[in-house]
Amino acid sequence: MTNPALSNDDLAMLATDFCGLNFQTPLSLLSGCVGFGEEYTRVKGYSNRDVGAVCLKGTTLEPRLGNKPHRVYETPMGMLNAIGLQNPGARHVVDEILPTLDFNETRFIANLSGSTIEEYAEVARIFDDSPIDAMEINISCPNVKEGGVAFGNDPDMSARVVAACRKVTKKPIITKLSPNQTDIAENARRCIEAGTDGFAVINTLMGMAIDIEDRSPIIGNNQGGLSGPAIKPIALLKVHQVYQVCRGHGIPIIGQGGVTTAEDAIEFLIAGATSVGVGTALFYDPLVCKKINAGIVEYLKRHDMSTVSQLSGSLQLNT
Amino acid sequence: MMNKPHRDTISVEQAEIISHDAYDGDQYLLRVMAPEVAATAKAGSFVHISCDPMLPMRRPISIMRVDKDKGWVDFLYKALGYGTGLLSKRQVGEHLSIMGPIGKPFSVDLNRPRALLIGGGVGMPPMIFLAETLKSLLGSQPFAILGSEVPFPFTAKPSTLMLPGIPDGVIASMPLLEDWGVPSRLASLQGYAGCYEGYVTDLARHWLDALTVEQRNEVIVYACGPHPMLEAVAKLASEYQLPCQVSLEEFMACAVGGCAGCVVEVKTDNGPAMKRVCVDGPVFNAEQVF
Ligand SMILES: Cc1cc2nc3c(=O)[nH]c(=O)nc-3n(C[C@H](O)[C@H](O)[C@H](O)COP(=O)(O)O)c2cc1C
Ligand code: FES
Repeated sequence: MTNPALSNDDLAMLATDFCGLNFQTPLSLLSGCVGFGEEYTRVKGYSNRDVGAVCLKGTTLEPRLGNKPHRVYETPMGMLNAIGLQNPGARHVVDEILPTLDFNETRFIANLSGSTIEEYAEVARIFDDSPIDAMEINISCPNVKEGGVAFGNDPDMSARVVAACRKVTKKPIITKLSPNQTDIAENARRCIEAGTDGFAVINTLMGMAIDIEDRSPIIGNNQGGLSGPAIKPIALLKVHQVYQVCRGHGIPIIGQGGVTTAEDAIEFLIAGATSVGVGTALFYDPLVCKKINAGIVEYLKRHDMSTVSQLSGSLQLNT
Repeated sequence: MMNKPHRDTISVEQAEIISHDAYDGDQYLLRVMAPEVAATAKAGSFVHISCDPMLPMRRPISIMRVDKDKGWVDFLYKALGYGTGLLSKRQVGEHLSIMGPIGKPFSVDLNRPRALLIGGGVGMPPMIFLAETLKSLLGSQPFAILGSEVPFPFTAKPSTLMLPGIPDGVIASMPLLEDWGVPSRLASLQGYAGCYEGYVTDLARHWLDALTVEQRNEVIVYACGPHPMLEAVAKLASEYQLPCQVSLEEFMACAVGGCAGCVVEVKTDNGPAMKRVCVDGPVFNAEQVF
C-alpha cells in the first residue's frame, strides 16, 4: 500500500480518465518540477503512485545547457524560474531515461519544446516510438528566445505546431497554453481544430525581480516565469475560460498554477479541470500529494459524490 | 526490479528546536532533534529547511555536526535575507520542517592524510563536520583554517597543537576542534587577537611552504565559503598541485534534483555541462568549477 491513509474504495473515487488514459488520482506532477520522473523518489514517503501522471522536463531535439544562474528566486507567495529548458535531448530521453522508469507506477507524459515547428514535430516523432503515455506540447515556455511562448501567444502558430505533431503521432496530445496572451479561449479553439486531445492550463506568467544594490535582475536570464500560489486566481480564471471551449468537445484540461492544498485542487476541478497539476508546491512539501488526495476524498464524501469526475466543471456561476 | 539506490535517501522530519543562540554579526547556532537526518548525514551534506510556514520556499543550510545516538543536528547560519531572518526568530520548543540529508559529501582520501580544511564565514560548518569525521580515522592529520570578518561564533583559545610555518603570535584556535585534537588557526582582516591578519589562503601558504616535498604530496585541500575565497583556494591548490574539493552554494527550489534551478557550470571531457549543486554537489572538484 502506497496510500496508507486511503482505502481501496477511496482510491476508486480518485481514479479518473484523461484522454483515454487511466489516471489513478486526478493529480499530475508538472513539467520542470520533477526532472525526468525519478528525482523525487529520493524522498522517503514520496511515491509516483500518488499521482495520475508525471510530466517530464521540457525536451528539445538537441541537448540544451539552459540559462546561466541564478535560475530560481522566491517572490511573495511564489517564485521566479528561468531554467532555459536544460535537457539531454529527445533521443537520450527515449533511449537512456524512459527504460529506467517504472510505467506500473504512474503515467509518464513527455513535454515537447522546439525553436521551429519542424523541431516540435521531430521530437514528437521520436517520442511516438517510445513507451511514453502522452505528449504535452509546451508552446508557453517564457524562458527561451525562440519558440516557446512566442508560438503560444499566436493562435495561428499554436495551431500549426499542434497540427505538425498530430501528423506524426496517435498518442494523446496535450497542448500547454500560456497565460501571457490576450485571448486564451480563441487559442484553445484553434488547437482543438488542429487536433489536440487535451490542454494544460496554465504555464507560468512572465516576471522580474531586481537586486537593488546591484541594480540588476536577480535571475540570470533577466526575466523568468512566475509560479506558485501567487498565480492561482489567474490560473483558475483561465481554466474556466478554456473549459467553456472544451466542454462541448469532451476535451479534458490539466488545471494548474499555485495548487498547494486539497481546497485549491477542488477549485480547479470545479472550474473545469479533469486533472490538477502540482509543481511549485512540491518544493515546499514533497509529500503534499498524499494530503491533497486525502482532502479530495474527504470532500467527495461530505458532498455525497462517488467519483472525482462528478466535480469537474460543476461551477455554478452567479447570475 | 530496477536498481534504484537513490530512492528513500532523504527524510522529511518535524524537528524540535533544542537550542538557538545568537552571536555577533547576525550569526546563529541552531540545534534540532532530527534523528533520521543525523543517522545518515555526512560531512558536506545539507538540509532544506522551512524557515517559516508562511514562506513558499525552503532554504538550504549546511550541517555542522550530528550526534547519531542522541539524534540532534547542529547548524551555524547567518541571518542574511528574508528567509533566514524569519528562521532566526524561531524559538526553542518550536518545530521546523527539515528535509535531508541531501547532497554528495566530501570524499576522503586516506592516501593523503594531511587534509587542509579551509572554511570562510558560514562556510565553516561543513569543515567542522569534516574535521570530526577525519579525527577518528587512523593516520589522518587534518588542519583547519577558519576565516571570518565578523567576530567568530565561539571564544577562541590559544592552541597547544603546534604546526610548521605558522607565523609567531598566530595562536587563536577553535576550542571544539582543539578538544578533538585537530589543530586549527583563525584568520581575519579585522585584527582579532591571536588571529592571522590576512587571507586564509596566505596563512595556508605559510604552512604549505614549511612542509617537505614528501609531506606536501600527502596534502588534500577541502574548502567551503564565499565564492572569491573558493576561487583563491582553487588557485592555491593548483599552484601547489594539490587535489581540492570545494562545497558550493546556489539558490535552490526542490533540492532533490527535480528542477535544475541550482546549477553550476562545470568542465567535463565532453565540454561544459550544467550540474545541479543539490544532488550532483554540493561538493565538486575545484578544477571542474574554476
Ligand atoms: C522550476 C520550474 C521549471 C519549469 N519547467 C517547465 C518546462 O520545462 N516545461 C513546461 O511546460 N513547464 C515548465 N514549468 C511550468 C510548470 O510546469 C507549471 O505549469 C507552472 O509552474 C504552474 O504550476 P505551479 O504553480 O503548481 O508550479 C516549470 C516551472 C518551474 C517552477
Ligand atoms: S534545487 Fe532543484 S535541482 Fe537542485
